[in-house]
Amino acid sequence: MEKLILVGGQAGQGADRTSLLIAKTFVSLGYYVFNYRDYASLIKGGHNFNVIKISDKPIFSHENSYDVIIALDQETIKQHGQNLKKGGFVLGDKSLKVKNLISVDIDSILNKLQFSKIFGNNILLGSLFKVLDLQLPALFKVFKEEFGEKAPLLEKAAKEGYDFVKKKTKVKSSQKSKENYFFTGSEAISRGAVMAGLDVYLAYPMTPATPVLHLLAAKQKDEKFSVFQLENEISVICAALGSSYAGAMTMVGTSGGGFALMAEAMSMVGISEIPLVVYLSQRTAPATGVPTYTTQGDLKFAVNIGHGEFPRVVIAPGDPREAILRTVEAFYLSYKYQVLSILLSDKHLSESGYTFDKFERPKVKPLRFIVKNPSADYKRYLLTKNGVSPRAVPGQGPFVRATSYEHDEDGYTIEDSEWTVKMNDKRFRKVKYLQEEIKKLNPVSIYGQGENLIIGWGSTKGAIMDALNSLSGFRFMQVSYINPFPAEEVKKEIEKSRKVVLVENNVTGLLGQIITEKTGCFLEKKLLKYDARPFTSQEVIKGVKRLAR
Amino acid sequence: MKIGDLETKVVKTWCPGCQNYGLLLAIKKALVNLVNEKKIKKENIVAVTGIGCHAKIYDYLNINGFYSLHGRVLPPALGIKIANPDLTVIGFGGDGDTFAEGISHFVHSCRFNADLTMIVHDNQIFALTTGQATPTTEQSFFGKSTPLGVQEKPLNPVALALIMGAGFVARGLASEVDHLSNLFEKAIQHKGFAFVDVLEPCLAYHNTTDFLGKYVYKLKENGYPFKKALEKALEWDYNLRENSKIPIGLFYQEKRPILEDKRTIKKPFWSFKRKTDWQKIIAGFK
Repeated sequence: MEKLILVGGQAGQGADRTSLLIAKTFVSLGYYVFNYRDYASLIKGGHNFNVIKISDKPIFSHENSYDVIIALDQETIKQHGQNLKKGGFVLGDKSLKVKNLISVDIDSILNKLQFSKIFGNNILLGSLFKVLDLQLPALFKVFKEEFGEKAPLLEKAAKEGYDFVKKKTKVKSSQKSKENYFFTGSEAISRGAVMAGLDVYLAYPMTPATPVLHLLAAKQKDEKFSVFQLENEISVICAALGSSYAGAMTMVGTSGGGFALMAEAMSMVGISEIPLVVYLSQRTAPATGVPTYTTQGDLKFAVNIGHGEFPRVVIAPGDPREAILRTVEAFYLSYKYQVLSILLSDKHLSESGYTFDKFERPKVKPLRFIVKNPSADYKRYLLTKNGVSPRAVPGQGPFVRATSYEHDEDGYTIEDSEWTVKMNDKRFRKVKYLQEEIKKLNPVSIYGQGENLIIGWGSTKGAIMDALNSLSGFRFMQVSYINPFPAEEVKKEIEKSRKVVLVENNVTGLLGQIITEKTGCFLEKKLLKYDARPFTSQEVIKGVKRLAR
Repeated sequence: MKIGDLETKVVKTWCPGCQNYGLLLAIKKALVNLVNEKKIKKENIVAVTGIGCHAKIYDYLNINGFYSLHGRVLPPALGIKIANPDLTVIGFGGDGDTFAEGISHFVHSCRFNADLTMIVHDNQIFALTTGQATPTTEQSFFGKSTPLGVQEKPLNPVALALIMGAGFVARGLASEVDHLSNLFEKAIQHKGFAFVDVLEPCLAYHNTTDFLGKYVYKLKENGYPFKKALEKALEWDYNLRENSKIPIGLFYQEKRPILEDKRTIKKPFWSFKRKTDWQKIIAGFK
């Protein structure tokens, strides 16, 4: 069973909310659901839509052809009507002009119930359930979870919608008795941060990183951490440095523009060796770009951000389940090795809803990595074998120094050549240990079998995974650790493959460039998409086949 | 604790006769008094500095220190208080550092009202970069980067702090060490954001020794009601005119709710033992 439903309308008409209700109801019935969210940078008007893909097998992406279009306005039909599948239908108000319309007289139902216009979508939800020959209680359960006391009103509206239309098709019921887990990348990163022991989250609002700010802000009282929105991203990251220096497990979140403003302070993370986790959710750039849409354009920016040279960790999870684990790993590596950890997502991963039926636990245990009773002769920047100095925090007794200047072991300013070399060497000694550590964390994952290889990273994983079944002879290598780069593993996989296709959601193939730099392998076949939209699996299938011909 | 306990091994590289020595002595005196009177704990004091001549004070004080980036004194100071409100955080900034590069942080720190102190070494010049105008430099100043003269009106940080809602606003003179030390003690003990603008000549690039010596006068001990404080703040506009009246001392003090009240726990986060529950986190996605 596989159904694709598009819900479209003006911003403010509730397409996203309605889609979420559909998605959650199907998840509760044991299905796998993917919910893609497409919205413009405005609050009212324009055109927003969601695509919900529902399947009885695991799926991780959407398509651009639909079995059902729920049209909240005529524009939805104008924009998507041509993508209705054969045998598909449009569900909407009787005023809509389109063939295949299952028409609902929303106004007269609202009149009868004496309900306001906001209940219109719930009428349509009821109608959808009837048309698909599904029972209402599952929908009502979700109403209750989402709306609490108001749920009975929504039920009334849905019931009217249900009675208004006739059955059309039958959705085969799911074989699964167990409910699946449905969540977005933003939810995963928020929960991952909580799992990692987050104390302080700081941010300035910026799409598509803002949902993490909202989610964590809402959780701060229950989970006993603190969330503050400061005056700009420079303040955010500098305050985060202070917070982490003073012992709090600290994370900041932003998108490309804010990340750019943070660049100077990232460099200070390098020299001061203050641990810090930075969540970067990419959106279409340059500059303001296409702000509510997706891209993978900041990969090399993340790998290279900050003036001067210093070690850092860059991790790019490919789906929300992985994002939880990678967030925990980002904290672990940052706090254990006192380096910058950048957690790379994008609009597509951060805001799309995915379904999973099981989880693995994080492989690492995040700790504060603070020395218990520092002695009187404590030195913050003590030279050690692995380059990691014991980290104490102010207030424990001995004085603790953190500095943006080059310094001696005590953290006092120096300008001499000997200590400049010693401290650079100390910081870079960590890299070898980080590499060993990362080897144990599946920096590279191989899916499927075949002599040919697709290479990808980040949110393209979903569409590629869904395409893999239709691409015989191809296996998929997902690179999750971008820095330190797992060069050995990547090189080995490329060298043993006949054809290699790079798939990236950007203009120039940034991972490909890093692969060439780190392994010497040059990738000729590149499937690149930079229309600010994510890949669908059909696009991957067609593109890979074309390039592999 | 004695003044000598605050000495470090680092050789001081301020110019001979630099007024920063006066400021350094004043802060040392204030800290010694407060520690000896058990009003603060030595191990809890953190100095946060920007970049510039002022910031060398990081190396000259034997306490916890955070040597930040240029203009970024207040954000780390705020972050430190968020992480651990038990710490006594004192920010040191220059006038270029605080009112040019870092002005947004200054404005919003007055609003946020975290419990910390901000001391600005205001010599009305970028000194370490060899003498360019800052926002508090007087009109008609001629420098290497402004050979045609400074035209714009100087920024009045005392008036700005008052308008932005700072709960403790004072001005000192680096050469008036005991008066300044007393202001520092009050500022550090103020529960909330405390701002002290410290006027100091720069002997190399902006020598206002005679001007300040001539026109500075002391305010009464305990500050003024807001309107009167603002009036006092506007008495001098940071221009170097004959017959200026330059008040120093406490302009205004008022207790307001502090940002740390919004923290979700009372303890420093580093000493808080967390129990994270994997099952609970996963269940949240149902």
